This record gives sequence, structure tokens and C-alpha cells, in this order.
Amino acid sequence: MSSLALMRWLEAAPERYDAGMRLLTLGRAARAHAFVAAAAARRDAQVLEIGCGTGALTERLVAGGAQVTAVDQNPEMLERARARLAEVGVLDRVELVERTAAESDALPAASRDAVVASFALSEMSRDERRHLLRAARRVLRPGGVLVLADEVVPPPGLWRALHCGLRAPQALLGWLLVGAVSRPLSNLPAELVEAGFRVRARQRWLLGGLEACVAVPVEGGGASGG
Amino acid sequence: MAEAGRRAGDLFLDLLQTLLRLLPWPTETGVRAVGFPDASSPVLLTGNYALTVRRVLRALEGVDAWLVVAPSAGINVWCAASGGHLGTHQVVTALKTSGVAERVHHRNVILPQLAATGVIARDVKRRCGWRARFGPVRAEDIPRYLAQDAKKSDDMRHVGFDARERSEMALAWGGPMALAAGLVLAWVHAPWALPVAGYALLAAFAAFFALDRLPAPRRTGFAALVVGVGLGATALAGGGIAALSAAGVSGGVIAALLTFDYAGSTPIEGGSHFEERRFDVTLDLERCKGVYSCWEVCPEACFEKPAPGSEDRRISIAHAERCVHCGACIVQCSLDALAFEDAAGRRIEPDAIRRFKLNLLGQRVA
Repeated sequence: MSSLALMRWLEAAPERYDAGMRLLTLGRAARAHAFVAAAAARRDAQVLEIGCGTGALTERLVAGGAQVTAVDQNPEMLERARARLAEVGVLDRVELVERTAAESDALPAASRDAVVASFALSEMSRDERRHLLRAARRVLRPGGVLVLADEVVPPPGLWRALHCGLRAPQALLGWLLVGAVSRPLSNLPAELVEAGFRVRARQRWLLGGLEACVAVPVEGGGASGG
Repeated sequence: MAEAGRRAGDLFLDLLQTLLRLLPWPTETGVRAVGFPDASSPVLLTGNYALTVRRVLRALEGVDAWLVVAPSAGINVWCAASGGHLGTHQVVTALKTSGVAERVHHRNVILPQLAATGVIARDVKRRCGWRARFGPVRAEDIPRYLAQDAKKSDDMRHVGFDARERSEMALAWGGPMALAAGLVLAWVHAPWALPVAGYALLAAFAAFFALDRLPAPRRTGFAALVVGVGLGATALAGGGIAALSAAGVSGGVIAALLTFDYAGSTPIEGGSHFEERRFDVTLDLERCKGVYSCWEVCPEACFEKPAPGSEDRRISIAHAERCVHCGACIVQCSLDALAFEDAAGRRIEPDAIRRFKLNLLGQRVA
């Protein structure tokens, strides 16, 4: 039965997640992950990862020497991450927690050297991002960094027009391939500034539709950053 | 004028989203003021399915309250809660990030009862301090529920399947089917497009009005009858080979529709495609202490409390035959007195039911 076949396909989303993301980002997700890991991971750095999914970035962070608390609210994704990390024998350097990003505000203040998130913010609402960014600022130690990689709306001009044209079929493909309902971030820098961060470095791929950036807390900044 | 325009727009969206209600229709999450709420007004929560949010807002006309729209992936409450898209995580996220905590001085939130398959009420309290309780099944009952001091009467707790609801589901399943059949025929043999599409829609309505009144074997007979009548009518009306094969194909699709198990689309028991259906809810009387959270959330009134004055305070499963295997009772029981068990003695423990939600195939993925 066709509807049953479609359901089977949709239900297997976590199994297809990695391959789907590779296809959707034409392999650029891996480069974005490499960027994030390079900026966030150093020997024994305490890293909080929001929305670890199947653990692709987690694995890179650990390879960079970090000790990671990886949070995701999807138990199936966490099982996949657990299997992946066990396979490469680094499970002892990762704490996998089934929890929402919103609960990051309950973590001890100034307890992490880096907070990272890849393809997580674009699945959140504006309220959820605001809450998370404030919580991230709070848990970072002095000198700590926030490193993000996500889908963004390209700057105005030809690329944005092209991106918008490609976005609708891509969004449908994204839903069918990986079961994700995401919305590219339209003004990430402004949201970072509002939460009390300053962007220190950034890189873009895919006509400017994929961005990774490193942000640092501004001294005394952020509406209610502390 | 603007009001009339808004209503016309709403009507159009209602129709569109009812027709295509098997797709997700996400709407903005966050807190919304209904009427003129203040710091002591009740806080209600629902999923971010556009059709639901509009209906809840309409039902709440004349009420002052805060409505928190939680992220449920644009899926309706019942499906999202059963499928892991509206669970404790999403409720905690909404309560923590929507800013509703700054708008009221109490910490009581009323959830739709049909979210009880996904949201563990006591965990909401532990994780973010809000006391969650399950309100009525239907949004239309919320004003009455609030007026009687957040007390549910039995009719607010139980799911029916009236003519309006049956029509909606028939439209949701039959509409896209009729459209698809019509489009294929318009391409193959145009004059037959409209009659076949109309017939498909009619068959879907027949299916949803007859489904629970026909036992499974008869349903197959009914499906065969529908295909036969369709083919016969086509032949009698002088349809050629093209029309006949098209009618045959659409007839087959309609037959599939008629025998399909509409898990979640109806509150009545369907066929047996779904694994969970082979399991029944079992009660461990040793563990039951008469908390009655199962009774509180069961949409089918399967449970019966002991008679007043009775010494034995324990619940009983008096109407197991009504059970639709939603698992809400198992999820909510704080004493783990309930579980799923099949005839062979295989059990699905409460924790598996809480952590791993039903997928579209009716399996719990571990």
C-alpha cells in the first residue's frame, strides 16, 4: 500500500539523517562542522553541544580534545549518537543527555569553555533562540566562545533571489529526507548582539545559505545577559 | 468589513487545511493573549497546528486567558502527542521560552486531554515548576470547564465521533484521493474525471460513516461492492477500455481507502495493520493505589472507579473493548501499575511507552 510505504519512508528519517544532510548541503555540512570543531575544541575544553542529533559534530569535537555535554530532545537521535561514539571508542568523553535546549538555563553559570550548535537554531522559534542564546552567555566562562553553524538567508541580491527560488523544493526535500522542519535564520547577527554577543569570525557556503560563526560575549552586554 | 474579510479568510483556510489535514500546518509558537487577560488569568496550552489554534481561539471568544502555542511540528495535538512531537519536552520548551511565566503570578497550565499520550504531567512540574493538568478533550468545552472551576464533567473527558467529525475525516482522506483520481483521469480520459472524483469522495464518506458499523470481513465485501459498482456504472455508461481501466485503478484505491486502518484518524478501532493493536492494557492490582490518573485521561471511558464508600479504592478496567490503545493511561500512571501485554505474554513496559512514541506504523522504536 502506497501510503504505508510513504509512512515507512518518513519513519526511517533518523536512519537517513546523515546521508540526507550530506546531500542537502552538498557535503558542506561537514565543512561547517570542521569549522565549528576548530573554533570550539581544544584539549580538555568543556563544551556544551545543543541538538547533537546523530553526533557528527560531537565526534569532531571529541577528536579535537574536548569533553562534551551533548544535548538532544530526540531519544532516537541520541541512540544513534551513542552508537557512533561507542564505535570510535570515545563515549567516555561525552555525556549524552535527553533534554531540551530551553533547559540549558539550569546549567551552572560559567561552567563551559564553548557552547556549540549546528543546524539546531533554524529548527527553533525566535523565542526559543532568544532564551537559548541568553542561557549560552550565562554558562560560558570568561574567554569562552559560542560557535554556530546553520542555514541562513543570504544577503540581499542575486544570491538571495537564487536561494529563495531553490529553497521551496529544498525544504520539501529536507522534510522528506531527514524529517526536519527548519527555517533559515534571517538575522542571526542581530539576534547575537541582542543576547550580548559580538561576532568574531564567520564563514559562508552554498551561495551564502549556510553560515558558521564564532561569537564572544560582550563585556556587560545583553539585555539580561547575566 | 475587515471583520468579514478575516472570517472569509479563516473559512478558506479551514477548508484548505481540513482537505489537506494529513500534512503539517505549522503556525507561530509562543504566548497569545485571548481577550483581556491579567496576571491571574488561566494559562492554556495547545500545539502549533494552524487549524487547531484558530479553533481554540474561536472557542475562547469571551474568555480572558493566555494561550501558549507549543512547538508540535505543525501537527494536531492527538497525532503529535502519540507520535512524539508534542511531549514533555515541547511543553517545557514552550513554558520556559514563551515568556508566559512573566505574565502570570501562578504556575498552573491546562493541557488538552488528548496530549496525555505524550506529555507526562508530573515531569512538567519537576522540570520547570508548572503544575500541568489535563483539561477537556474539545476546545469548545473550555469556557464551561473554566466556568466550573476547572472541573471536568464526564462528557468533556470522552471522545465521540459525530457526523461533523466523520465528515471532516472523510474530506481529509477522500479529498486528496478524489483530486488525484480526477487529475489522472483528466489526463487519460477527461470526461470521466469529474464523475470518478465525485465517486471517490462519496466512497470516502460512506467509509467513514460505515467504518465502525461494519465488522472487518464485511468491510472487505463493502470495498469490493464499491469497486464493482464503479466499474459497472462505467461500463453501462459506455466507457471504453481507457475509462474502465481508469475506473478500475481508482476503484482499487478507493477499496484500499475503505479497508485502511485510520489509526488516530478515528476514535474507533480499525483493522490490524498496526502492531500495538495486538497488545492490551493490563492492570497490576498490587501496584494500584487509586490515584485515578488513568480514569482522568482515558478518552474512551474504559476505566471504572469503585463505588462510593467501597473499601477497595483500586480502579478496574471495566470496558477493555472500547480501548483504542493510545497508552495515555500507562504514560500518566505514577505507580507503573499499567502496561501493554499481548496474548503471548510479551510486555511493553511503561518507560518504553513514555520514551518511544508510536510511529506511523504503530511501532515503538527502541
